[in-house]
Amino acid sequence: MTVITAPDTGVLVSPRKRGRRRPSLLILLSFLIVLLVVACALFGSLLAPFGANAQNLIVATQAPSAHHLLGTDDFGRDILSRIIVGARAAVIGPALIAVGALIVGNVLGLVAGYFGGRVDYFIMRLADLVWALPGLLIAIVVVGVIGGGYYVAVVVLVVLTFPIDARIVRGAVLQQRNMPYVEAAETLGIARSRIMLRHIWPNILPLVVANTFLNFAFSLVALSALSFLGLGVPLNTPDWGGMLSQNLSLIQGNAMACLAPAIALVLTAVSMNLIGDWSYERLSDRGRAR
Amino acid sequence: MTVPPGAAGPAGGAPLLTVRGLRISSRLQGVDRVITTGSDFSLAPGETLGIVGESGSGKSLTARALIGLLPAGVHAEGEVEYRGRDILKLPERQLRQIRGSELAMIFQDPFTMLNPLMRCGAQIVELLRDERGRPLKRARARQEAARRLAEVGIADAAVADAYPFELSGGMRQRVGIAAAIARDPQVLIADEPSTALDVTTQREILARLREVQQTRGMGLILITHDLRVAFALCDRVLVLYAGSVLEVATAGAMEAEPLHPYTLGLLLSDPPVDRRLSHMAAIPGSVPSPDDVATSCAFAPRCEWRAEICTAATPPLAEVAPARWSACVRVDGIEPLMQEARSETMAARLDHEQEVALAQETGQDSAVVVTRDVEKVFGESGQSGRRVTALKGVSIEIGADEAVGLVGESGSGKSTLGRCLVGLETPTAGTIVVNGIDTSQTGRLSAADRRRLRRTVQMVFQDPYSTLNPVRTVGSTLGEALSAADGQIRDVRKAVGELLERVGLPVRYAERKPVALSGGERQRVAVARALAVRPRLIVCDEPVSALDVSVQAQILNLLAEVRREFGVSYLFITHDLAVVRQVAERVYVLCQGEVVEQGATGDVLDNPQDPYTRKLVDSIPSSDETWLAQADEAAQDSTAQAASTPQGA
Repeated sequence: MTVITAPDTGVLVSPRKRGRRRPSLLILLSFLIVLLVVACALFGSLLAPFGANAQNLIVATQAPSAHHLLGTDDFGRDILSRIIVGARAAVIGPALIAVGALIVGNVLGLVAGYFGGRVDYFIMRLADLVWALPGLLIAIVVVGVIGGGYYVAVVVLVVLTFPIDARIVRGAVLQQRNMPYVEAAETLGIARSRIMLRHIWPNILPLVVANTFLNFAFSLVALSALSFLGLGVPLNTPDWGGMLSQNLSLIQGNAMACLAPAIALVLTAVSMNLIGDWSYERLSDRGRAR
Repeated sequence: MTVPPGAAGPAGGAPLLTVRGLRISSRLQGVDRVITTGSDFSLAPGETLGIVGESGSGKSLTARALIGLLPAGVHAEGEVEYRGRDILKLPERQLRQIRGSELAMIFQDPFTMLNPLMRCGAQIVELLRDERGRPLKRARARQEAARRLAEVGIADAAVADAYPFELSGGMRQRVGIAAAIARDPQVLIADEPSTALDVTTQREILARLREVQQTRGMGLILITHDLRVAFALCDRVLVLYAGSVLEVATAGAMEAEPLHPYTLGLLLSDPPVDRRLSHMAAIPGSVPSPDDVATSCAFAPRCEWRAEICTAATPPLAEVAPARWSACVRVDGIEPLMQEARSETMAARLDHEQEVALAQETGQDSAVVVTRDVEKVFGESGQSGRRVTALKGVSIEIGADEAVGLVGESGSGKSTLGRCLVGLETPTAGTIVVNGIDTSQTGRLSAADRRRLRRTVQMVFQDPYSTLNPVRTVGSTLGEALSAADGQIRDVRKAVGELLERVGLPVRYAERKPVALSGGERQRVAVARALAVRPRLIVCDEPVSALDVSVQAQILNLLAEVRREFGVSYLFITHDLAVVRQVAERVYVLCQGEVVEQGATGDVLDNPQDPYTRKLVDSIPSSDETWLAQADEAAQDSTAQAASTPQGA
């Protein structure tokens, strides 16, 4: 056969002159904070200068000093150590919630958007129903009344968070599903599950990733709110929300005892949000002609 | 300073607008890119200048630079002289006074050009002022709006009270023209004013533009990618390619004898509507970015007469004959060769008998697809207002090894029929028999039958940019298609390589993502994907309409090669009669969901029987003087039609 070749014009092969954009200082800082928090969550008890629950009533309620960098609480426990060890509760719960909501929300969103019709109607009404519930209140009631600890709270928050994911994913799938590349896959007879997972999903990934970061930040605040109310995390376990409420009375003696966990919470949540936004922009650049 | 080409226009007076060394560049995220390398041209009063270029030539940004409307991050150097002032140096406040009243512009997309929340009349008179500089009074405004609508051929005063969404695309474009020229500008710049419109509407719009321009004696700059349109409307044509002006000449002279290899290539790769060619001349490769050809002749990488001198330096635009400018340094030497190339293409033309004989030779064997009275209604039953009937009983037949054309304007239902054939839509009534299986209800097919349908009919889509999954490599897309056809396939890599070679792409393209491919290359991959399952029929839905003219011919030739080798049949869906003539032996003409005419392509196009087919054939741009003049008659009936039936998009 005579081959009609499209010769290389060298246009599209030429090295892209566009350098990769470096992330801004703010993003670098966010990454640093998140990295620090994750490190504390993993190796908290090794990094902490004191035992998180080591009481020393002689040094109760001391202001920050060279020995206790952030001071102590009314049992004489080192605040810095408790913050470091408390990072574990701050990371694991929100991470589980974000990942749980990602799985449930994405599966339901993909199915609803791709199949449409009655399936879509049923899933979305379910999501609407959950969406309409006052989330935190339900969590308080369930965890408070039924009892059960941290992980019950995590499950409840997964159920309350998944509608956000499902809605966002469904909307994005609706946009993609009539694109010629999806129709071409259908025409080739490729299995629907494969079309959803291998064709459509990678194209909406930026949204999914960004939303998962946002969910993390949201769940961090929600879980801390629960432990602020004394729900979820067992009393002795160091936890930022719990510290904040327990040490509120020490604001005169050692303001850092309740300010430090609050600052840790806010910094982590804000960093997660910023990273989420940044990764969305970064990922959606991928595969786009620029 | 070189004298800009065409300093003296047909009117003979001093030029209205003179452009010298217009260099446009962009700076985005710290990276500089050249858009145009320095254009010189001028526009005389009452003259129509066509700027012709493919995508990426810089034609639209050139137009925007003339009126000081460059987007952020893009800036222009050089000089745009209008009545002694340099537009590029004017402050924004003064520019705003000039825009609309002296220089006006109309854009490509009539759907977004008008404010959707304002009535058409109000948009036209918005900036008109009375003698004392105040906005017009109500009665006066109505009168002015009606007068200006009449000027663009809208007699129905009710249009002034309509919102843009109530009008058809052609009507909107006319309202857009009326609004642009409301303040009697000296120069009108029209950026692809007819590209988004159907062919029949295109002719009306071009005729209106010409009429308005002639009655007012305005200068008109028409930006277009279509040489046929430029030759039909313009006095002079300027050919822009990858940011460089390659040729300037009067329309007639350029059409008769182009003096730059690129112009020649464009002319030759533009399919003729009156004859079928045995093989189309195509310019190899695709349009480079101006940066990559900054120090050589912009066309050198794709030129068959390239010599060392072409890549040594950027050749200047030089006057090679009286009133003819060309940027080809070898033009004297290669002129006979260029003429030879042209006569070769003429020789490739089949005469009418040969062409009709083709239709009889093919399609004799058993039919691959037969449809009977296929109907398709969109919208839910019960909501009568929202139901749209796309197909009203369409019966077609496609034989083995036959290429069948399906032509019609947008909304004719041609794409819907194609989608029904591959099972992407389910017909409301009627039967579709593919390879002996009734596939009209895809949902009820057995798994085995569905697999047979997939392997019999495949599709190539219009938009090269969304036809491939952007996150997957070409290799994985093709590999998946191969596995879908044959689960036991062993060496997928090798098979992908063979497929790529078949469609004329290097094997190493398997590792690339679609973003690293040009439009034409993506369309080749799409053809390869369809071929992967060895289908008997490929439905091609406008496969070349989104491509540049120079690339279009490559894909048409590829489709012809593929057919010769694999013996597949085509259903070729298009609005372009010239394209369908090069591909299909038989053609069906679809109008509002009904087949109005069918037969051998040569017979239908040379001797159309149905008035609708005749209208389609007549609306192909031609440099014949009568083409635009006669558009008025055609316009009259459709204006009445458009006014009585407000259309949605």
